[in-house]
This record gives sequence, structure tokens and C-alpha cells, in this order.
Amino acid sequence: MRWLSRDPTPLPARPSCEQVGAVIQAYLDGELGADDAEVVAEHLRHCDRCPIEADKLRRVIEAIRAQRPDLAPDVRSQLEGLLDGVAPPAIDD
Amino acid sequence: METSATDARFREQVLTELDVLYRVARRLTHTSQDAEDLVQDTLVRAYRSFDRFDGRYPRAWLLTILRNTRINQVRKRRPDLLDDEVANKLPATGADGRADATESQALRDHLTPQVRSALAELSPKHRAVVALVDLDGLTYQEAADVLDVPVGTVMSRLHRARKSVRRHLEAVGFLEVDR
Repeated sequence: MRWLSRDPTPLPARPSCEQVGAVIQAYLDGELGADDAEVVAEHLRHCDRCPIEADKLRRVIEAIRAQRPDLAPDVRSQLEGLLDGVAPPAIDD
Repeated sequence: METSATDARFREQVLTELDVLYRVARRLTHTSQDAEDLVQDTLVRAYRSFDRFDGRYPRAWLLTILRNTRINQVRKRRPDLLDDEVANKLPATGADGRADATESQALRDHLTPQVRSALAELSPKHRAVVALVDLDGLTYQEAADVLDVPVGTVMSRLHRARKSVRRHLEAVGFLEVDR
């Protein structure tokens, strides 16, 4: 199965549903090259089946990513303090 | 003067990556203190080798240093481990995909119980990939570098993990079941 976004073989101009299905995850993650992404987008505009599969995957990705943690402000300050210890900020005259 | 200019360039490259460095450090360590220590050691090493950095892809450069720093830390504590065993010590994610669910809220996540339990059902390897890509925002390549696995492995683990999460979320009614 062709999983990889970095597969050296580009998608054909009119890929099969199976070919699109193999790269749909990389497409939704923004990991496909521009040419392949356009081919997939075009396929999704005209296919009856693939948009349903793509939507299922998109919803689970969104459900997980909606939970992305924020860095607590005090931790952010501490990290900047670590950086100050390594490379002090310039002092303006 | 020279040092000041170098410091300024270093800060510029690193400042925007501090968040991601800390997030990944939390995935690779057990406590927030360990994560801070790891970030600090990473910054020191990065600064020392900054003159050899070509300025491209600072995140990838820093993540590689962070990973190697962590491996050295593990090796120092467990000199008896073989290379593969050291690699298997990474990451140290707990049941919910966080390094330690009982730790302080250093990373203020808002994991809903449904998503938390869905992640808890994943194997550590699959959970780690979801955490790095979906929660920490790494690219496939960056996650592959951190975990020292091929990009294809990241993609296949991600695929399997998301499938499992979807099944779980549908079963508990968090996601609509497709007709």
C-alpha cells in the first residue's frame, strides 16, 4: 500500500479510490506535496465514496486536536529563564 | 560584541521553539522537573554547537539535540542498556498520553474523559505518535526523528491509532456513528 507522502511516484492525474484512500491521512495532515494534494482535492470533489471516508478521519483528527494542551504561563516564563541562562537577551542602551 | 550578536541570533532561532521543545520533553520524561532539565541541557548543547548550525529547520535541529540529550541521560543512568533498549525507553508516556497524568498542570490540557480513555486504550507506541503529531503539532518527519523510526512507521501507527480512537469515540457517543 502506498502510505507515504514522500513516495517518489506522484499520484496519477485520475487516481483510483484505493490510491486516494492510501494518502488521505497525509492529505488531511497537510503532508502531501502540492501537486498530489490538488489531485486528491479534485478526486474528492467528484467521488461519491471518498469524501465520506475523508470526513470520518477528519472528525477524529479534529476531536483529538481540539484537546491540544496550552503551556501554562509560569512554565513559559521558566523556559525563557533557561534560555536567558544560555544566551542572555541584549540590553538596550 | 561578537558574542552578543551570536546570542541574539540564537535566541531568535530558539525562542519560538521553546514550547514544542518542552512539550516533547514532557513526552520523553516522567516529570515536569525532568522535562525542564532536559530542555536546559538541550539549550546548552545547542548553544555550544550553534556555530555549526546552518540556520535551516531550527525545530528539527533542536529536536535532534533534545532526543540525543535524552538518550545520553538514559544511558548515564542505565549504562547496562543496549542501544535498542535505550531507544525503547523513549518515550515515557503514561496512560493518557501525557508523561505523567498526576503531574502538575504544566501542560494545561483539556482532555475530555472520552478522549482521555480513548488514548489510554492505545499501546504506548501508538499513543506516542498521536501525542507528538496531534497534541504537540509535530510533522511526520519531526515525530519520526524524535522516536527514531521511519516516517512510514509514524504514518502507519498514526493510522492505526486514529482508527482505534474513532471506534472508541463512536462507541461512547462522542463521535457520531456513520450510517
